[in-house]
Amino acid sequence: MRPPLDSLLIRNVESLTMSRTRWNILIVVLLIAGLAWVWVNRLPAGDVSAAGALPPAPAVGHPAPDFTLTTAAGETFKLSELRGTPVVLNFWATWCPPCRAELPELQAASQRLAGQVAIVGVNQAETPAEVQAFAEKLGLSFTIPLDQSADVSRLYRVRSLPTTFFIDRSGIIRQMQIGPVTEATLAQSMKTIYP
Amino acid sequence: MLPVIQLGPLSLPTGPLALLLAVWAALAVGAWAARREGLNGDDIYNAGLYGLVAGLVAARLAHVIVYWDAYRTQLLEIFGFNQRAFLLWPGVIVALAVAGWYVYRHRLPLVKVLDAIAPGVLVGIAIADVAALLTGRNAGAPTNLPWAVSLWGVPRHPVQIYEALAALAVAALALWMIARGSRPGSAALVALCGYGLSRWLLEPFRAPEASVTVLGGLRLAQVVGLAVALIALWGLGRLASRTD
Repeated sequence: MRPPLDSLLIRNVESLTMSRTRWNILIVVLLIAGLAWVWVNRLPAGDVSAAGALPPAPAVGHPAPDFTLTTAAGETFKLSELRGTPVVLNFWATWCPPCRAELPELQAASQRLAGQVAIVGVNQAETPAEVQAFAEKLGLSFTIPLDQSADVSRLYRVRSLPTTFFIDRSGIIRQMQIGPVTEATLAQSMKTIYP
Repeated sequence: MLPVIQLGPLSLPTGPLALLLAVWAALAVGAWAARREGLNGDDIYNAGLYGLVAGLVAARLAHVIVYWDAYRTQLLEIFGFNQRAFLLWPGVIVALAVAGWYVYRHRLPLVKVLDAIAPGVLVGIAIADVAALLTGRNAGAPTNLPWAVSLWGVPRHPVQIYEALAALAVAALALWMIARGSRPGSAALVALCGYGLSRWLLEPFRAPEASVTVLGGLRLAQVVGLAVALIALWGLGRLASRTD
């Protein structure tokens, strides 16, 4: 009687339970092959920054896509002109309750960090009159670019409001938050771009 | 790119949703494996859920302590739903401690529990990998292979899928070992070894910008993966030769 295939297989696997020497040889072989594979795939220092290869995109680690809009105060706003200053780039609308909840936090931060961090609140697709009345009611004094055609919202793939991007001095997005910031999460995310 | 799942008026962030799914899948697979080992599957669910709840509380508490200046003026935010107001590592440590306490308290055989949860954790990791692809994280290296996916405007290796498939394959191997009734501890060690090897093998398919480097350009995931694989292999050797 031949033993069933299954038990033969198991016995063969069991017989693979090798002697100590063979295990040690296996470990040494893996160590050598392993280090070789790690070595050939190393990244030369400086290569990454030199490549700077990531294209502008609304994602962590990527350069923030540039845009130009007119602000509620009637001035021209260009994101790249803020290079050298950390930027908190927020997208909001007056009809969005969580935005209304967080705007006072952004206002407080803009006063606390005046001249050190730029707080920018892009309004999504509303009329200048609406936005101005609303900003006056809440006493908002930070820059509010008007994204009337929602082109910039599309550029930043903003799917839900509010969404906030934290951009460092060199224009790289370091953190993004979907949903409202609180004072605590604002402080936490701010750490990635400032001081 | 699917960072937010839109269900009518409801915007569900993919990341936290995938995390919940991953935890549930890990516990379900872990409970199944535990039953195969003659343990009570409910113990795995209990340990996991106690750990999860304790971990969430600890992660929020740590956030409150670190950012107390911000919370002082708005105490209700301590109980707020803000999904970013958590600190990862305090949460992970407390979750593991509480799950470990449950195992100790109920006198569960630790080695068998580790065997049972190892494949579950790998399934959870595979789900997290897929979520990483959906949210555009851990981008792959550029390639022109026919199965390249376009991310950030460049066709790239779908490295997140490679990693997910590798994790699933190792999970299947560990489950097979449990089903076959192999020596206690071997399924967990095989899972560790296999996962370490997969990270060591696949990390080079990640975009250089998505790789953390150490020691002048070595990829951290490769170094750690190889070290873990070697230690696990050494453990397997010890386990195999113990009764020979």
